[in-house]
Amino acid sequence: MSLTEEPAVPAPAETAPFVPAKVTIDRTVRLPSITFCLARHQTGSRVFCGGADFGLHSFDTAAEKPETKPLSETRHSSYVTGIVSAGGMLISGGYDKSLIWWHAETGQQIRRIDAAHDRWIRSLAVSPDGLRLATVADDMRTKIWDAVSGQCLLTLEGYDQLTPHGFPSMLYAVCFSADGKRLATGNKTGKVLIRDTDTGTIQQTLEVPVMYTWDPKARRHSIGGIRSLAFSGDGSLLAVGGMGQVGNIDHLEGKSRIEVFRLPAGERMHEIEDSKYKGLVEKLQFSGDSKWLLAAGGDNGGFLSAWSMETGKLLAQEKVGNHLHAFEMLDDRRLVTVGHDQAALVTLSAG
Amino acid sequence: MSNRRLIPVPSDQLLPSSVSRRGFLGGSAIGVGGALAADMHAVNGLRAEEIAGELRRGEKHVILLWLAGGASQLETWDPKPGVKTGGPFAAIPTNVAGIQVSELLPKLAQRMQLTAVIRSLNTKIADHGRGADLVERGRLDDPGLRYPDLGAVVAKELGRLESTVPDYVSLYTSTEGRRKGTSGFLGARYAPLFLAENMAPPNSALHEKLTASEHQDRAALRDLLSKRFTAEHRGSTVGSLNSAYQRVQGMMASAGLFNVEQEPAEVRARYGPTQFGEQCLIARRLVEAGVPFVKVARAWWDSHGQNFETHLELCADLDHCMSVLLDDLQERGLLEKTLVITLGEFGRTPGINASLGRDHFASAWSCSLSGMGIRGGVVHGATDAEGHTVVDGEASAADLFATILQAVGIDHTHEYMVGSRPTPLADFGSKPIRSVLV
Repeated sequence: MSLTEEPAVPAPAETAPFVPAKVTIDRTVRLPSITFCLARHQTGSRVFCGGADFGLHSFDTAAEKPETKPLSETRHSSYVTGIVSAGGMLISGGYDKSLIWWHAETGQQIRRIDAAHDRWIRSLAVSPDGLRLATVADDMRTKIWDAVSGQCLLTLEGYDQLTPHGFPSMLYAVCFSADGKRLATGNKTGKVLIRDTDTGTIQQTLEVPVMYTWDPKARRHSIGGIRSLAFSGDGSLLAVGGMGQVGNIDHLEGKSRIEVFRLPAGERMHEIEDSKYKGLVEKLQFSGDSKWLLAAGGDNGGFLSAWSMETGKLLAQEKVGNHLHAFEMLDDRRLVTVGHDQAALVTLSAG
Repeated sequence: MSNRRLIPVPSDQLLPSSVSRRGFLGGSAIGVGGALAADMHAVNGLRAEEIAGELRRGEKHVILLWLAGGASQLETWDPKPGVKTGGPFAAIPTNVAGIQVSELLPKLAQRMQLTAVIRSLNTKIADHGRGADLVERGRLDDPGLRYPDLGAVVAKELGRLESTVPDYVSLYTSTEGRRKGTSGFLGARYAPLFLAENMAPPNSALHEKLTASEHQDRAALRDLLSKRFTAEHRGSTVGSLNSAYQRVQGMMASAGLFNVEQEPAEVRARYGPTQFGEQCLIARRLVEAGVPFVKVARAWWDSHGQNFETHLELCADLDHCMSVLLDDLQERGLLEKTLVITLGEFGRTPGINASLGRDHFASAWSCSLSGMGIRGGVVHGATDAEGHTVVDGEASAADLFATILQAVGIDHTHEYMVGSRPTPLADFGSKPIRSVLV
C-alpha cells in the first residue's frame, strides 16, 4: 500500500463564505482496482467504493494509514459503476445490470435484482431523503426505485437507442435536485432530460451537443457524452460535465468541459473549457451556497478544479493522480477522490 | 510439375491474347485507362502448363474484413471475464459447445459452426505501419524486394481467365491508417482496385456526351478495324490491346456491382444503415460476380482511450454486418467458395490504462476464419489466464498467411522466381495451422 502521511490541514475558522483558492492532496491510498464510484455511508468517516474488480471496498478516511478492505466476498459479475447510501443500506449497481442492497457494517447482501436493466447500469443516484433510488443504463431507460423496498416505481423512456449514426447509444449520468423533486439525466449524444420525480414527466430538455464527438471520416466512430450532472442547492442551476470536441478520438484529448444552465429558463450561463486539463468531467458538485462548482475527471491524469459560478473563472485546480471517476465531500472543505488506481484525501483552502 | 513460377518477364514480352487480359489492368485508383498504360510493362506470361490449371480454377474468393487500428482480442474472440485484465464484458456461449466469445458478438456466437478462431497470434510488431506490413504480407520486405500482400497473391492465384471483373478490390473509406495495399514484386497488374473516397471505381462511367449505343458502336468499329489490322500484322501486341479494351469494357459494365441501390430494399435493410454494412454488401456482390479478393477495411479500432465504449460501437457493427454477410453468402451457395477473415495489424494490451483504453499489443492476439476451407467451430491456440502470452499453438504472421492460402486451395509452398531468387508464396518455414483447415 502506498501512503503519504502528511496530516490533513485543519480548516481555519472563518465566517466569510468560503471560496477555494488552493487544492492540497493530503494523503493517497492505493486502491485494489480501477475505481469508478464512491459513497459515504451516513455521516461516518468510512467510505465505500466499487470498480473493476467487481467488488465493493471501504476505507476509513480518518485513519492515520487508511487501508482498503473488501465489504464482502460477494461481488457483482462486472464493473461496479454506482454506489449510494440510502435507508441505512448501501446500494450498488454495475455493468452486470444488477442492483445489490448491502448491510454497510456487515457486508451482508440484503437484496439483489439481477436484471434491474437490460444493459449496462451506468450510474446511480439517491434522493436527498434517501427514499428513492434512480438508475440509468444503456437500455436508455431511467428507473426510479423505492430505495428501501427495492420496488421499481417508474420506468422512463425518452432517449433513442441508437446514435444518429446508427450505433448503440449510452445513458451515462443521473442526479436528483436538492429538494428531490427533479431528476436530470444525460446521454451520449448530449441530451439532458429534466423530469418530475414523482410522475416522470419531462419538464425540460437541454442540448449539449459539443460533448459528443462523431468522427465521420478518419475513424468513423464516436467518443464523449454527458458524464456528470449536478443541480445547485436552490435548484436554479444545472451543471453538465463531459469533454469538448475531440480531434483524435483514439484518446481523451478533448478539453474538459462544463456547461451550466440557468433553470427553468434553460439559458446557458457558462461554457467552461479547461485550457490546462483534458478529458472527461466525471463528477460535479456545487458548493453549499452554489457560489462555486467542484469538478473532477481527467484523461490519463486526473484533475480536481473549482470554478466560480459568478464569473465562470477558475478558482483552484490541481492534478490528482490518475483519471478521477468520483469524489465525496467529507465536510465543506475536505473530500475524498477515487480514480484509476488510487484514492486521495484532499483539502480545499482559501489560499 | 514445377512449383516455381517465373515472375518478372522482360517488358517487351507480351501476353498471348488467348491467355489473359488481367495483366493489363490493376492499379485502378488512377482510373481504368491509366491503369491500362501503367501496367503494360508488368505483364506476366503464364506458362503453357499453367493454362490448364488456370482453367481449373473454380470460383474461389476471399473477403478480408480488415479491423484497422487493431481490435481487442479480449472484447472479441478471446474474452477473459473476471480477471484483472478482462474488462467489463462477459463471455457468452456459442452454438458450439465449449467455445465462448465476448458478449459483444452475440450474432456471430450463433454462427460459430462456420468459424475457426485463432487465439495465439504472436506477430511481435506493435506499431501500425510495420504491423500491417507484416500481417498483410506474411513477412516484412527484404532489402530490394517488396512482397505482395495477401490480396495480390490471391488475385494472381485465383484470378480467372477472361475475367471482366477486377481481381482485387480494396475498400478503405476512412482516412486513419488508410493503406492502399501492395502487389510488391508481382507488379501493378495485381494491385488493388482501391476505393477510398467513393464506393465505386473512378472514371468507369461513360463519357457524359456518349450514349451506351454510341459506345457499343465505337467498340464494334474498333473491333472491326482491329481484326483487319491483325489479319495483316501478326503479333501479340494487337491481341493484347484487344484484350485490354475488352477488359476496360468489362470494368465499365461491372461498375454497377458497387451500387448497392441495385439490391432489393430488404437486402439493404438486412445489412443495416452503416457504411460498413454497405461495404459488406458490396463485397458480397463482388464475389458473386467473380472477384477473387475483396478487402473491406473497418477503421478505426485504436482505442487508447475508452476502449470499452469504442468496442461497444464497433463490435456491434462487426457482429451485425459480418453475421449478415455469412448468412447471405451461405444462402447463395457462396460461403463454401468464400473465405471470410477478420484481422487487423495487431490486438490490444491486456492492461487497461487510466483512460480506460487498451494500447497496441502483438504478442497474444486473435483472428477469425470462416467459410471456405475452414473447419468451423474450432479454436486454435490459447493465451494465459490474463492474456499476456501465448501458451499453446503459437502462430506467426507467416503461419497465418500460409493457412489462408491453404484454405482456398493455394499451395503456400509454391515459389515465384523473382529474378533468380526462388520466393515461396508464404514465407520460408511457415506452417499452415492444420487444426483450422478441413
